[in-house]
Amino acid sequence: MHALHLFALKLNRSLAKLHGMLLALGMLSLLAAAVVLTYSVFARYFFKLTTDWQDEAAVFCLVGTTFLCAGQVQMLRGHIGIEAIKGLLPVRLEQARYFLIDLTALVFCSFFAWKSWTLCHEAWAENYTTSSSWGPPLWIPYALMAMGVSVLALQLLAQTLMFGGVVPSKDHPK
Amino acid sequence: MSATTIGLIFGAATLMAMFSGLPIAYALGAVALLFMYFFMPASALDTVTQNVYEEMASVTLLSIPLFILKGAAIGKSRAGQDLYAAMHVWMGRIPGGLGIANVFACALFAAMAGSSPATCSAIGSAGIPEMRKRGYSPGFAAGIIAAGGTLGILLPPSITMILYAVASEQSLGRLFLAGIGPGILLVAMFASYAVFRYRKERSCASAGSPLLSIETFSVREKFEMLPRVLPFVILLIGVMVALYGGYATPSETAGLGAVLALTLIAVVYGMWRPRDVSPILASTIKESTMLMFIIGMSLLFSYVMSYLHISQAVAQGIVELQLSRWFLLAAILLLVVALGFFLPPVSIILMTAPIILPPLKAAGFDLIWFGVLMTIVMETGLIHPPVGLNIFVIKNIAPDIMLKDIIWGVLPFVILMLLAVVLIALMPSIATGLPNLLMGLPTR
Repeated sequence: MHALHLFALKLNRSLAKLHGMLLALGMLSLLAAAVVLTYSVFARYFFKLTTDWQDEAAVFCLVGTTFLCAGQVQMLRGHIGIEAIKGLLPVRLEQARYFLIDLTALVFCSFFAWKSWTLCHEAWAENYTTSSSWGPPLWIPYALMAMGVSVLALQLLAQTLMFGGVVPSKDHPK
Repeated sequence: MSATTIGLIFGAATLMAMFSGLPIAYALGAVALLFMYFFMPASALDTVTQNVYEEMASVTLLSIPLFILKGAAIGKSRAGQDLYAAMHVWMGRIPGGLGIANVFACALFAAMAGSSPATCSAIGSAGIPEMRKRGYSPGFAAGIIAAGGTLGILLPPSITMILYAVASEQSLGRLFLAGIGPGILLVAMFASYAVFRYRKERSCASAGSPLLSIETFSVREKFEMLPRVLPFVILLIGVMVALYGGYATPSETAGLGAVLALTLIAVVYGMWRPRDVSPILASTIKESTMLMFIIGMSLLFSYVMSYLHISQAVAQGIVELQLSRWFLLAAILLLVVALGFFLPPVSIILMTAPIILPPLKAAGFDLIWFGVLMTIVMETGLIHPPVGLNIFVIKNIAPDIMLKDIIWGVLPFVILMLLAVVLIALMPSIATGLPNLLMGLPTR
């Protein structure tokens, strides 16, 4: 149990560093999406240029930001839920509830990550592109989704192992 | 197994998952996945990620992170305090002017930032201490800011409206315009109540109470406030002109608004260094990722409901009840109120739209008008317990005000909002008048 707890703590620390890098990437990507869409307006009205790639480029940036930063949001327990029964259960049952919540989320995200990699591989192998005139390859956003959900699943694994281990209840998110 | 039976099990499983405390996004995704496994062909599980991606990769939906960025940029600058200070100076002489200043500042800030909690926090952190210093009761000071903050989801650009437009397949431009009339109505009602309350509190004030003193500002002081506020008002108008003048699509408007907001805070407040901008980007990412996950999973959830004919069966069942149209509307709005006790507006819209919109359409209701009503009803959910997000934001910025006082303080505003719902139900043109005037009558 102690070894499991140590592993979870190490994993959590390593993931915190990774989240920091992904957050920085997400910030740049968010800014890039805003700039690309602004350019789109100016290009169309002032320079009379066609705007065929801007929307899709912004979508790729924003999908990337959303998925790549999902693990960091999970680390901060930023995904909201209904806490109607919070505090009503005895401490041990409350810990068990948190463990089950994290485990369910872990199973769901692991399945989602697996299917995302399958989809990404298929898009790469079959050379899928979007249906627009620009037609960028679809493996790009699929890969961002797969990487992001995989990191999210790892974060959930670390959190599941910590709550299921010997972490004192004071470490519980309030 | 009939669609009704599957629907009942589906509903029970969803309630169990959500009330266990599982984050909403995971709860919706896990229930959808479970029912796909048991009741849908195996191939459905193979396309689950593609479905989520295709739903999320909508350029309209992805304007949400950019509108949040625009709001965060304004919310994390001193714009809120400056806006409040300007309103205070300009309305100081009106009886109850401080309360009115708070309402107007909330409305303008909400329209710029598009976020209720951000509005509460930005205006409340300056407005509540000032109102208390001037002798107003803490409950009223908290209530007016909590209620004013709710305007963020009604006035354009409202994220709630964007989701409703996607879920109901209605014009986003029309919906944004339809929120303006009811928004002005609510501002007028809140401001009138502020005047009424000021008179009441003043009549009970003892000698020496700050409520009895009148504050005056010189014309110079008034004009000195303008340079810090006008750029943001120009931003507000500029974004609306870009959208309705046909210069930009809603997503381009979101991008343009975000860039302009970041540029303005850099120029007006000198917030251009990475250490100034990175907290804005980080908070945007946190909020938008949480929202986008709920949206993606809600859409997967709705897809499963539709595939298993659950939403169609429930909608058909409601139609077959042959309720009078007003009874149907009241029942649906009550359902929205009940859901508002536990769920954020985002989930309410995406989970209920496939069920409640077909019967409303069959009953002949205008879905743009209903979207406005639904939004105001959901706004009340932001200021009534147990969720009442704005109540907790206020508690955070004014921790010495008792929760009981805040809840009593918001109660009159909840009643005013429900009164506004009745008025808009009786006079739909309050909502539909402006879009019909500017964009013509909708094609049916």
